[in-house]
Amino acid sequence: MFVFLLRRLVQAFVVMIIISVISFAIQNKLGDPVLQHVSMTVAPAERAQIRQDLGLNDNLVVQYWRFAKKAIHGDLGTSYYYKEPVLDVIFKKLPATFELAFCAIVMVAFIAIPCGILAAIKPKNIISRLVVALSTMGISIPIFIVAIFLVYIFSIQLHLAPSFGRGQTTDVFGLWESGLFSKDGLRHLMLPSISLAFALMPIFVRLIRAEMIEVLQSDYIRFAWSKGLNTRRIYFIHALKNTMLPVITVGGIQAGTLVAYTILTESIFQWPGMGFLFMDAVSRVDTPLISAYLIVVGGIFVVTNTVVDLIYGLVNPTVKLANHGL
Amino acid sequence: MFISVLDHLKITPKRLFPSTAVLFIVTLFCCQTASAVTLKMAFDADPVSLDPHEQLSEGTLQFSHMVFDPLVRWKQNGQIEPRLATHWQQITPTTTRFFLRKNVRFQTGNQFTAEDVAYTIRRLKRSADFRAMFDNISSVIVINKHTVDIRSSHTNPLLLNIMTYVFPMDKVFYQGRDQIVKFGNSFASKHASGTGPYIVKEREPGVRMVLTRNKDYWDTKSKGNVDKIILTPIKNDSTRLAALLSGDVDFISPVSPIDIERTKNSKGVQIMTLPTGRILLLHMNEKRRKEFRDVRVRRAINLAINQPLIVEKILKGYAVPAGQLSASKFLGHVKGLQPEHDVSKALELMKQAGYEKGFRISMMAPNNRYMNDDKVAQAIAAMLGRIHITVDLKTLPKAQYFQQYDERAADIMMLGWQSDTEDSNNLYEFIIACQDAESGLGAYNASEYCAPSINTDIKLANRETNPEKRARIMQRIEVKLHDDAAIVPLYWQYNIWAAKNNLHIDRIVNDQNHPFLGDLVIDEK
Amino acid sequence: MRYFKKDIITPAQSSRWSHIWAGFIGDKLATLALAIFVFYCLVAIFAPLLAPYNINNPNFMDLENAEIAPFWISGDSRFLLGTDAQGRDMLSVILYGTRLSLTIGVCAVLIQTALGICIGLISGYLGGRTDNFLMRCADIQLSLSTMMVAIVFLAIFQAMFGMAMYQQLAMLMLILVIGLAEWPLFARTIRASVLAEKQKEYVDAARIMGISPKRIMFKHILPNTLTPVLVIFTVQISNAIVAEAALSFLGLGMPANDPSLGALISVGFSYMFSGSWWICVIPSVTLIILILVMNMLGDGLRDHLNPKTYKD
Repeated sequence: MFVFLLRRLVQAFVVMIIISVISFAIQNKLGDPVLQHVSMTVAPAERAQIRQDLGLNDNLVVQYWRFAKKAIHGDLGTSYYYKEPVLDVIFKKLPATFELAFCAIVMVAFIAIPCGILAAIKPKNIISRLVVALSTMGISIPIFIVAIFLVYIFSIQLHLAPSFGRGQTTDVFGLWESGLFSKDGLRHLMLPSISLAFALMPIFVRLIRAEMIEVLQSDYIRFAWSKGLNTRRIYFIHALKNTMLPVITVGGIQAGTLVAYTILTESIFQWPGMGFLFMDAVSRVDTPLISAYLIVVGGIFVVTNTVVDLIYGLVNPTVKLANHGL
Repeated sequence: MFISVLDHLKITPKRLFPSTAVLFIVTLFCCQTASAVTLKMAFDADPVSLDPHEQLSEGTLQFSHMVFDPLVRWKQNGQIEPRLATHWQQITPTTTRFFLRKNVRFQTGNQFTAEDVAYTIRRLKRSADFRAMFDNISSVIVINKHTVDIRSSHTNPLLLNIMTYVFPMDKVFYQGRDQIVKFGNSFASKHASGTGPYIVKEREPGVRMVLTRNKDYWDTKSKGNVDKIILTPIKNDSTRLAALLSGDVDFISPVSPIDIERTKNSKGVQIMTLPTGRILLLHMNEKRRKEFRDVRVRRAINLAINQPLIVEKILKGYAVPAGQLSASKFLGHVKGLQPEHDVSKALELMKQAGYEKGFRISMMAPNNRYMNDDKVAQAIAAMLGRIHITVDLKTLPKAQYFQQYDERAADIMMLGWQSDTEDSNNLYEFIIACQDAESGLGAYNASEYCAPSINTDIKLANRETNPEKRARIMQRIEVKLHDDAAIVPLYWQYNIWAAKNNLHIDRIVNDQNHPFLGDLVIDEK
Repeated sequence: MRYFKKDIITPAQSSRWSHIWAGFIGDKLATLALAIFVFYCLVAIFAPLLAPYNINNPNFMDLENAEIAPFWISGDSRFLLGTDAQGRDMLSVILYGTRLSLTIGVCAVLIQTALGICIGLISGYLGGRTDNFLMRCADIQLSLSTMMVAIVFLAIFQAMFGMAMYQQLAMLMLILVIGLAEWPLFARTIRASVLAEKQKEYVDAARIMGISPKRIMFKHILPNTLTPVLVIFTVQISNAIVAEAALSFLGLGMPANDPSLGALISVGFSYMFSGSWWICVIPSVTLIILILVMNMLGDGLRDHLNPKTYKD
């Protein structure tokens, strides 16, 4: 267990270093940060001076070294636009993204699991056929189309939900800006979380259905049938438990997808979270912020996967952590 | 800097009992206090900083008009209107005396005096972005508490135009901690004290800014009744429009021309448009391509492009087709110069120049800087195809585009330019003068076209104070550009706003796109 | 029971495939999907012949004809599906766009498959440190998510080739980028099957007979791991097409004058509610049907081949 964690830690570190190198290598391909911060009328000579002062003319290796030295002390730089340490900026936006993802995941869990199970145990049922058909359609419709239609119907036509932003937030213990405790905040959460859930739902419905079918055909379930166990017990205790294992693993891998989808959802709904921050940083050529975002997201991914593997090990003791996935 | 929106009263009970009942009471409470007039607006950008001198941009100037007051400002009809300067007179050819408004206080309570004006202009001369404009102001002399003399190093026909950029800052408040820092933290970028109609209450960069009415605002004649402004930057055109149509915001800008018809048909929403002096043009790089050195080829390109059609189909008529750089309200405008379109004549010219078979060129345009810029560029590429010029078009986001622009990375490049001084000469200086890295002249001259006579005329126009003589000089430049077909002028853009019907935006918008929100009247329903 | 057990099937390969084929044909939905997919492929291949206009003709794009509604609304018989904001015939543009999208999708997935198979085989067969290293690479790749990898690679390519050159190579770049971004999925699946196969007797037998590892990998193990690859293949094509569409939507895809379906949608997007809905809706429907069909095909194959894939 300890060795496993240690290895994971090393791995996370390596991932982050690689990401930081990549993000450094591409940063001057994204545009010129100086041009974004001066008016068009500033003379080229003056702009060159600003660039020099910022150290942007130095060799990339020199720049990376400078960055790395500071990074060791936990300082990933200062955002050009927010004028604050990049990590502070990112962590300030973290709650928004977290709440959005959380709501979407809750929605997925409450809808996808029953639907997936139903589709697996009653494949001939009209509803489960509908579920399967809808899930196939669901993965075929790009999220940006879904989102724009949600806005058109629920905000513009019906005036049921706001079309952008996060609304009123409340401070929880001074640490967390939450939108979950006010009516306004919840209303704002509606459309973005539905469209995010819409993007994830079909993947999970299909996955749960496939796993469940497979599990139901395994020997021990047949044995349970022949033993004459209660149907409900077989489905919900024996089969479901074993279905959820791979679902959890895949869930961990889907974290990457989730990040990509939050970027899209947040930019469409102007949701002030990390994904929106990232797109904004790209358009403003806020290079320190871009690098830091990539590093943080890489970190989050490694952490989720470690947690998933830990859970996997706890639920299923036959998996030896040290051998699994490492 | 993040100041909590919730005042103390609202937050305390919730911390004690985080129950729905309390939430309900709080919501009720919020609804009751919301009777004050609130304006929710969504523009495409927010100010990058609270420091009015950090960046010369539309966002900063819009902000300056809310929190600060200029000495003078443009009226909708193109006249100059006194604000903090009540009147002025020219004492010598190079000195102008400004008489300042009395009994004006800054938001900190400090008295507004001539010292503040002198301080502000000195600070402007330190700002990288504003310096160039204030270069020829040699000194500011405080005569008494409410009088100030502004001296130029030479005669300056545009002094008043420049004074629209002087937003006096509170000297007592800022002094000693007033560095202008572009890429880092500074006092001025997070704190503001001006004389303006609004006070910054809360700011979360890129997300929202909340301003409340300055109770002691000096302009008591202003009918403006907005108590609170919530400004949200929304970059995406359709998201911004959706926010207005769904009733989440009251006032937006800009609106894509494509959506205007639909917006007009929506109930309870009005559209306001004003033509501006922002010119869009193409530069044909003569250094990169020998073909462009031939005036016949340049003229052929000018003839091949059908400006009125572009305006009609892509901008839905919300622009003015241009045959020159200066819009009609500018002094340099020449009446007769209209865009010409004649493909057969263009083909004939190409043949004369020896390019009957045509050639292949590269072209770049931004895709998120000007109204429908990428679509216009695509249409132009197709039009050039008609005269056998094959165009490899690349459209890119503005962040990358202007880097490429500085490197003159393509044979044809698109540029839009709004004159800072509301005067033709500013266009010539940046777009068409021979390049000079030191002075910044010709910084955006991507055609590498260089006519010494134009440079001489620009210098003349900068000092000539007689408007008629000045107009003649600048019109000479315009005619020369046309004769040489040095560039391809495309059109002058419109500014477009949309708002709910109960907002009287028609009285406060102007072609610089700095709505005077202090004077905005909202009818209460 | 549509469920076959592997050991029941006779060893003769041809009869096994024909059996699966028979089952597949029996599945109406899958057959329909296959038919539509074949139709799409034909349309893509013969686009230049089918399109009413040649999109490379300089006269093809005429602003005068901008935003003409489809035939059944406008009655303009020149343009069956109407024209877009630049005055291009929608039908021709969509035909060429489908061709582009499918080419990009199929080629990108071929790259993924090739990379994935090689890495998966090596990783699974050799095991140990090699395996460890390769799977860590896969993890890193996955952690970056396709979109970000694509953004990074596209930026690097642009820097390497310069803007103008890049323009002409855009399609190749997109294929490479999407191809490079999603190989771990194939690699992991292959690796898992290899690990399972490796323990079977026939591999031991081959090894004892002194057959070289390369030969064992490609001749003996690989054929037995191909079923899951086939299933992922179809699903990944749809993913690749969506990825291309999303990249185009973010402005990183094909240039505007040579549009894929995704680029068409992204350009048409601003016209969605302006009244000229067909500019966006028709390419969107084309794209959605294509992806739907690919997914149904994948489902059909999965049902009939029943591979235990590495799920995603």
